[in-house]
Amino acid sequence: MVSQLLKKISRVLYNIVVLFIPWEMRIKKIESHFGSGVASYFIFLRWLFGINIVLTIMTGAFIVLPELLAGPPFGTTRSKTIPKDHLASAQDLDTIWSLGGYLQYSVLFYGYYGNVRKIGSAGYRLPLAYFMVGMAVFAYSFITLLRKMAKNSRMSLSGASDENYTFCWRVFCAWDYLIGNPEAAESKGAAIVNSIREAIVEEQEKKKDTSLAVLISLRILANILVLLSLTGSIYIIYFVVDRSQKLEQEKPELTLWEKNEVSVVVSLITMIAPSAFELVAQLEMYHPRTSLRFQLARVLVLYLGNLYSLIIALLDKVNSMSSAISVGPGNLSDSTSYLATISQSTEDNLSTIIPDITERQNSTLTRTLLELNNSMTTVKSTTSSRQPMRMQSLLNQTVLYEYNTRSQQDPCWETYVGQEMLKLSIIDMIFTVASILLIDFIRGLVVRYLSDCCCWDLESNFPEYGEFKIAENVLHLIYNQGMIWMGAFFSPCLPAFNVLKLVGLMYLRSWAVLTCNVPHQQVFRASRSNNFYLTMLLFMLFLCMLPTIFAIVRYRPSQYCGPFSGQEKIYDIISETIANDFPLWFSKVMSYVTSPVVVLPALLLLFMLIYYLQSIARSLKVTNSQLRLQLQTERTDDKKKVFQLAAAHLQAPEGGDKKPEQESDITSMESSARSTSPPRRNGSITNFESPVRHGNSIRTITQSASRPDIPRAAGATQSPTVPVRQKHKAEPVASSSFRMYSSPSVPQRQVRRVEYIPIRHSGYLGSTSGSCRSKSYHNMAYKPCTRYAENSDPLFRKTLRPMHTEPAVITAQSYVGHRAHSTRYVIINEHEARKKLMRSNTRIPRHYRLADEPTEIVELYPRNVKCYIPRPPHRSHQPHLSEEEEEEDPKSSTRRGSFRQSKRPRPLSDLHQTAGFYIGDTINSQLSMEQGLYSDEEEGDQEEDWVNDPQTNIRGPESAHRYGEPYVKPKTKHKVEPSLTESDSASLASSSDQQNSSTDQYIQVIHNKKKYLKSNAKLTKTKSKSSVKLNVSGTNDLVCSNV
Amino acid sequence: MGNKQTIFTDEQLDAYQVRDSILTFFLHCSLHGRYHELAPHLVPMDYTNDPDVKIPLALIVNMPELKENPFRNRIVESFSEDGQGNLSFNDFVDMFSVLSEMAPRELKAIFAFKIYDFNVDNYICKEDLEKTLNKLTKEELTPEEVNLVCEKAIEEADLDGDNKLSFADFENMISRAPDFLSTFHIRI
Repeated sequence: MVSQLLKKISRVLYNIVVLFIPWEMRIKKIESHFGSGVASYFIFLRWLFGINIVLTIMTGAFIVLPELLAGPPFGTTRSKTIPKDHLASAQDLDTIWSLGGYLQYSVLFYGYYGNVRKIGSAGYRLPLAYFMVGMAVFAYSFITLLRKMAKNSRMSLSGASDENYTFCWRVFCAWDYLIGNPEAAESKGAAIVNSIREAIVEEQEKKKDTSLAVLISLRILANILVLLSLTGSIYIIYFVVDRSQKLEQEKPELTLWEKNEVSVVVSLITMIAPSAFELVAQLEMYHPRTSLRFQLARVLVLYLGNLYSLIIALLDKVNSMSSAISVGPGNLSDSTSYLATISQSTEDNLSTIIPDITERQNSTLTRTLLELNNSMTTVKSTTSSRQPMRMQSLLNQTVLYEYNTRSQQDPCWETYVGQEMLKLSIIDMIFTVASILLIDFIRGLVVRYLSDCCCWDLESNFPEYGEFKIAENVLHLIYNQGMIWMGAFFSPCLPAFNVLKLVGLMYLRSWAVLTCNVPHQQVFRASRSNNFYLTMLLFMLFLCMLPTIFAIVRYRPSQYCGPFSGQEKIYDIISETIANDFPLWFSKVMSYVTSPVVVLPALLLLFMLIYYLQSIARSLKVTNSQLRLQLQTERTDDKKKVFQLAAAHLQAPEGGDKKPEQESDITSMESSARSTSPPRRNGSITNFESPVRHGNSIRTITQSASRPDIPRAAGATQSPTVPVRQKHKAEPVASSSFRMYSSPSVPQRQVRRVEYIPIRHSGYLGSTSGSCRSKSYHNMAYKPCTRYAENSDPLFRKTLRPMHTEPAVITAQSYVGHRAHSTRYVIINEHEARKKLMRSNTRIPRHYRLADEPTEIVELYPRNVKCYIPRPPHRSHQPHLSEEEEEEDPKSSTRRGSFRQSKRPRPLSDLHQTAGFYIGDTINSQLSMEQGLYSDEEEGDQEEDWVNDPQTNIRGPESAHRYGEPYVKPKTKHKVEPSLTESDSASLASSSDQQNSSTDQYIQVIHNKKKYLKSNAKLTKTKSKSSVKLNVSGTNDLVCSNV
Repeated sequence: MGNKQTIFTDEQLDAYQVRDSILTFFLHCSLHGRYHELAPHLVPMDYTNDPDVKIPLALIVNMPELKENPFRNRIVESFSEDGQGNLSFNDFVDMFSVLSEMAPRELKAIFAFKIYDFNVDNYICKEDLEKTLNKLTKEELTPEEVNLVCEKAIEEADLDGDNKLSFADFENMISRAPDFLSTFHIRI
């Protein structure tokens, strides 16, 4: 009840949690309409949204809020006031639109933040925080991305399989049951047809290479075209940035277009170029999947090229700006002493970059400018107003310079970069919205409502409906995120803006998808395993981090704005903080740690570690592939065997001659297989003499018999080859169960019985070593006891419902096994000592496992029935395991004698009698086989015996064949007679029994002799399988004879 | 949905919850809403006295979740107790619990097999495959193509060489399919 309650509560909680997952229902709705591919885009978008939320919280909580709360308010410091000459236009729409005016001097951008080391009463170190957060943004993104990728790859690894079920999957797994939209269904149907045709074509003509020359030339042409368009787009961007700079210098007033030229051009290129690439890709005639990959790679390169050319152009601009700044004050005598010292120190560095001529020009220019500015602006602004943008222009353009000085009043290059990135992001958003509205919505409207009054079918021909291109849209998201990462350092509010953008995009996109899109015809496979996107995102993150890091490391921060103003380099804030605010020892330690003495070895260590881990990963991959290969070969082997078996099975009823041959060596298997479980039964029974305990004993029997089901069930879900190991683990449990119930006086014997199994097995596998006598006499001693056990068998059977069957059949079968073992057994016995050790080891853990076994069986049993492929008839009979014994009931009183007789061999074999003991038996059996095959009383005996015959004598496969012949006779005779269903089941049960034991056997072998592991496993596996089927038929025959 | 107690007795709800741990409580109630919606004249809102109501296949197939599914008839048939496609509420719940997101792979495989086994002989034989293909592709493939695909598919998945797919074969194949779980479910 408690567990139920817990279940309920957890379910309710789960439901509540689902309610709180943003857009969960929306995504599910989309998923149900368009399938999982389209939904993956939205799931990716949501994930990005999550990342951006965290980034926003980081920047907001540690940079923006402290600055707003504790920093000097707007208008108090120079970096926070709008210059007077800008004040008039500060509220104009176009100023605001180009992020100037009030926006420029706000928390949006780097320039607003003050460089006071500690702000507020708490002494918040804003500059330090700014730097740390800037780095933490990247660190966090990296970590989350990598973790997500690792998680995904783990998931995909578990489900990864490149098995070749191409056609099956394309038929059975093709339909996306989520689809509930007629259009989606239609396109999905078309996609399925495509994929099936594709598979057919691939299957039919794998080596078809027609007009190779044409194709190659076409592809080369296509690649040239793509390269041209890539370089063209990069050049255009660079050109535009350059032009905008020139325009800024030359024209006093810029139009709206001129101000936003750069971002508009970049956005246009990102929109148009992918479609152009798609057109070009049609030239190439690649396989659709390959062409999609190419397309994605090209688009990614294009996006990266755009971002890079933009940022390079910007940095170029920055370069000129900062050089102008540094040169300016250096030549000015009236600048503050602080600035003078800095600029002098930096002048040396920068003079290398800037030609002397320009420097001289600069100085002269700036002097004239200074004069102009002095006359125009206040003293306060003079310091800031001496920065002209470009120095190529001549002195006579003084008016222009006036403008320049005004427009570049506060030449904060960080703010400038931040502005550009934010502008780009905004324009990108506008273009996305516009494209959704125009390309998708309007087009959808037109197609839907004008198709009636148009001469061709708009819906199926030219305009069609817009497809939702998952891959390109995902790439666009990645590109967008790249912009954010690139600009986040210079514009702390960029992540916050991106959050808004993503929210808007989520709603707009989902609306557009639901109203006016049809899913892409070729669903991109990588969309299912999102790692492809994530890899691209990681790539993007790395490449976007580079320029920012470069700018931080390479460039001087602006002199008059931003948290790092007045510093040589941005990262100096760290060393400064360490030097000033930490105790002396810490800075010492830090200087020590950062010295090459430590850094170089650390780097080396890191490289070594990477190399080591990589080599491990590589070797793991190799083993992985090898294992997979092995699995595959084994499965094909299985297939072959199953075929053979089926063939044999078919042939068997017709030609009796062939069967015995197979059977003879199969029976040897059977015998070995059977040996374990029946003896166990005996063992457990022996100890319960009083009828009261019989119930218990029965339970133990069923347990021990059905225990092997567990491993099989577990294994059955996997491929048939796999279970080997699992079985072998579970085996000890099985043996332990009956041991538990046995009385304390006899444990040794029982234990031994179990343990002998492996020996036999290994023995008949071919390890010839003959020193088993020491053990065998031991077994002899137990003989009477076990015989007694046989007697008690019927007793307990009585307690269960009686059935009319021939017990002899079963016993006969089991005897077969035992005898065979015993003979083989004689051959080897050198492993005894080891076994004893084993025994002592294994016995202990077995006990505690007992408790929960019955339930396990119950749970796993049905699955076992369902799943175990190669032995269907057999499986179904496992429930009869206990019945088997029940069926033997009726005989109990009258036939006890015969039982005793018949069962005598069993204990013997169990106890691993010496060959001598058997000799008599075999003779008997042979005799009986000839004589009284049909006599009721002796039947059991006879059958056992003649079954035993071949096996007792088996020493090798040849002998098996030889002895197979006599076996044929009786069987063919019996075949004529009809069989009872019950007896049938009984025999089947016994066969299953033996099978179980067979699994036990090789399991034990594994324990004892590792080197035999493989061969044993294989042998037993194949044989147990074959034995199952053949045995079933064989037992049927036997049963018939009894009737 | 709000008045659960009037629709079901507590015992019934408990039984449902115990029986199909896959389905959530809320979903269950909403399922009844859907069930009722399908045939308001047949299905009573009050389920406390276990009415023996069955909705015929034709009505169920028209659910928006199933309407586009090429195998909708087979789905409903394989979940109906009588095999004719008449679904009691229990069958209905079973159907959506098996097709829900949280159902285990084994269960899904069993019912997928049932769905694709058109002639209910516990094997997916060539005729079944042909039917599947024709439904899937709306008979766009030529007979030769269908034949080839059927042969190939059986060849791939048939482990025991009987030229038809038993459940074991099917499960073996489907358990390796990368997107079976993600596609074989229906949202309601």
